[in-house]
Amino acid sequence: MTDTLFLFASIAGTPIAVRACAIEAVVRLSEVVPVPLTPVHVRGLAALRSRVLTVIDLEARIFGAAQPAPLAPLAIVADIAGHSYGFLIDTVKDICHEPGGVQPVRGRLDRAWQPFVSGLVDHDGRSHLLLTLADFTGAPASALAA
Amino acid sequence: MDEILGEFIAETLETLETLSGEVVAWEADPTDKSRLDAFFRFFHTVKGSCGFLNLPRFERLAHGAEDVLAAVRRGERLADPATVTAVLAVMDRIGALARGLGGEPVPDEADDDALLDALSLSSGGFELFEPLAPAAPVAAQPDPQTVVVPVEEKTAQPVESRPSTAPAAPPREKAPRTIRLPLALIDQLMNGISDMVLARNDLARRMRDQGVAPDLESSFERMSANVADLRDMISKTRMQRVDRLYAAVPRMVRDLTRELGKKVTLDLDGGDVEMDREMIEMVVDPLTHIVRNAIDHGIERPADRVAAGKPEVGRLAIVARQSGNQIVIEVADDGGGIDRTALVDRAMSAGLLTAVDAMGMSDAEKLNLIFHPGLSTAAQVTSISGRGVGMDVVRANIEQIGGVIDLATVPGQGTVITMRVPLTLTIIPGLIVRCGGQIFAMPRGNVIELIHENSAMVSIEDVAGGRIATIRGERHPVVALEDILGLPRHADHAGPRTLMVIRPSAGQNYVLGVESVDSNEELVIRPASPIIASAGAFAGMTLPDNGQPMLLLDATGLVQIAQLPVVEADKTRRDARSARPEEVIETLQVLLYRDRDGVERLMPLPIVDRVEDLESTQITHSQGRAFARIEDRLLPALNVCEGEAGSLKAMRLYDGRDQLTFLIDDVLDILEIPARLDVPIGKGRIAGLVMVGERQMELVDPFTLFEEVAARPGHHGAGTQPVRCMIADVDDPWMRNILAPLLLQAGYDVSLGMSGDALPDVVLCGSGQNVDIDGVPVLALREQPELSGDPEAPPSIYRYDRDRLMAAISSFARRAA
Repeated sequence: MTDTLFLFASIAGTPIAVRACAIEAVVRLSEVVPVPLTPVHVRGLAALRSRVLTVIDLEARIFGAAQPAPLAPLAIVADIAGHSYGFLIDTVKDICHEPGGVQPVRGRLDRAWQPFVSGLVDHDGRSHLLLTLADFTGAPASALAA
Repeated sequence: MDEILGEFIAETLETLETLSGEVVAWEADPTDKSRLDAFFRFFHTVKGSCGFLNLPRFERLAHGAEDVLAAVRRGERLADPATVTAVLAVMDRIGALARGLGGEPVPDEADDDALLDALSLSSGGFELFEPLAPAAPVAAQPDPQTVVVPVEEKTAQPVESRPSTAPAAPPREKAPRTIRLPLALIDQLMNGISDMVLARNDLARRMRDQGVAPDLESSFERMSANVADLRDMISKTRMQRVDRLYAAVPRMVRDLTRELGKKVTLDLDGGDVEMDREMIEMVVDPLTHIVRNAIDHGIERPADRVAAGKPEVGRLAIVARQSGNQIVIEVADDGGGIDRTALVDRAMSAGLLTAVDAMGMSDAEKLNLIFHPGLSTAAQVTSISGRGVGMDVVRANIEQIGGVIDLATVPGQGTVITMRVPLTLTIIPGLIVRCGGQIFAMPRGNVIELIHENSAMVSIEDVAGGRIATIRGERHPVVALEDILGLPRHADHAGPRTLMVIRPSAGQNYVLGVESVDSNEELVIRPASPIIASAGAFAGMTLPDNGQPMLLLDATGLVQIAQLPVVEADKTRRDARSARPEEVIETLQVLLYRDRDGVERLMPLPIVDRVEDLESTQITHSQGRAFARIEDRLLPALNVCEGEAGSLKAMRLYDGRDQLTFLIDDVLDILEIPARLDVPIGKGRIAGLVMVGERQMELVDPFTLFEEVAARPGHHGAGTQPVRCMIADVDDPWMRNILAPLLLQAGYDVSLGMSGDALPDVVLCGSGQNVDIDGVPVLALREQPELSGDPEAPPSIYRYDRDRLMAAISSFARRAA
């Protein structure tokens, strides 16, 4: 855990952090083509040059309900297990080293966030929830699937 | 094999290059053990590969050097400067020889002795050169002493039978120089070029919208063509020769035959056909399984073969060929064939069938039971096959990659299994369909036909909520794609919806209703991410040239989502005219070709014997008829234009007896069409019209072609003996000078009087003569046009009634045949 470079962003007003080594880029997606028969957090497909991204709505995955997406949503691009994904986020704050590294979670988080947060990263005087993007690529547990 | 050789050359030179640094260090410190090991490994590897590739010169050199190094390693010999020099000289020579294989001049073989002498001299004696134990064999190296079947040995080392790769061969083509690249780089290259294509398309769109100067447009066109070429070239880097697929087969056959006590010769053909590297990986397992089955269950024990009157040694042939955008791999054995009765018994004892079902099954259906999970005709489970993973898995694997597997078997004579797989995994032809405001792609291979909802050929009825379409007497369940995918019906869509008759890889055909079918495109398919794949409806995703991602529908997955009853074809009751099993819906394989008038037409594939290139000089005209000289035979040629020049393409058509050559412009594809024509015409050479995708095409009527040829005077079939006519009265000048030449010109054999002991097929004589030769039919020719008044006179033909005369002779010819 010597890797201390993080991307700081926010979802639904909540500050989050993602290890920078896990991500490839942050882009604005043009058109997202919806995919039928998939859970609500699968927004669809988007083209990034010659690649096709599966667009995952992080917020929808966490809270189980989708908000209408903005016109050109911001997405973190990452390759996970040979597939390219775009993870929707609201805003990007910064990418920087945080020598403090990952702290354990203190206090009780919202039940919705709990399964995804593996620690806290301090940045700019605030605690950011550390997320692992690969956790979002699977199907949700049965409780959320309906 | 060239590829393996090329790899050997590349590897050897590569190792030499890395070793060259070590050489200097070794010279400086000959006692360094680790360097010694590196050299030893090098010679050992070269020696091993050489044995396999049949390069005796390499082997001899490497063997000598290896011996010396082994002695040094054992401490029996010092790595003195002389030894080092000698070893290095051998290394250099191996390098030179390897480059020589690539086409550079090769040092004289006699010089090798000098090098080897140098090796032994520096040792100060010969006693060290006890022959080492044979080198550990390289995995694929056959051991000549232990091969059971000598003929197979040949195939195990195909290089021996291909002089072009032997070093002593006559001047050969310069072997292509190769380098090795990481696969990831090629994938990046592929992605890069895809980006470029998209950028080009985007630019083209913008240029169209804004309108640009013609000169700008022409330079854009040039760049555009370059990009397209580049894409083709880069896609070729993904291709590999089928040799690679074959690599493990000889060894496997040899091991299996030894284990089972059978004798088999193996023929491998078409190793130079290229297919997608990933595809090769996907086909390895099915092929292995089929070969195992063929040897284990197909080919009989030598004693049984002899008892059945067959040669003791069985034959297994694997042939690969490219056919349109498919690769066809055929595995043929001359074994016992598949026992249908045993299959049916198995299926019945497994509770899959009732005796009544079995009674009503067609031969093909019975045979198809072999693809049913858990059925095997093996009397007992052996270690080779029959372990329950059977042909069902093979079929599933092949179908998973968009392929088709077919099986033909003749009891007692053998089995042919044909796998047809697409050329690449990544590019498939697809139909673009519109539905619920979105677009999707459907693999073309799954679509049997397209039909408008309001077409007269289809009637749709609603039965208790389910919809059933009747198309030409066949009933199919109908589902709307919108309903399966949970999309809204687009209200503003005008015009009739399109129905697609879909053939899923398992289960019955069904009709899929969509808003419209837009176009037909070659699609580059990528796998869908797991969460999308888990929806079950999509087989992958693709990025068409417009840059908007699109999902590829999974014809089989849709059935499951729609919860259509899955009626397994082989369990279907045959009485109902609905639910006809898949096998019975007759389809016809056709060759799509471009005719010489530029129109694309279809030719039934079974009668196409081969497609060949001809030179215009091979075409001869005579009396308005054209012939093609092929392999010293004259075949009737159709579709010949005046003044042919250059090289031509032709299909050789074969009706089981006669052959003819049909000139065409080019062969395009192989398609499967319903055997029933959409619009029968039956006039001239066209049998009728067939819907192929969204085009209607003309299907050629082979009957007319052969009829045309057969109607040519004097035609009597290429494959048969000419009819022998005997002229009874040798002295009759009319018979000798007028009739005999006429018959000869018509292609008959004519003999004057009895010659040899062969009986003629017909005897010709004057009407007044009485000839009787062992019951050979006699044709009497009279001199007067009108019949003689004598009622007792035998029937005769007026000798200048050419039509009747020729008709009579050819009728005898047919009788004789």
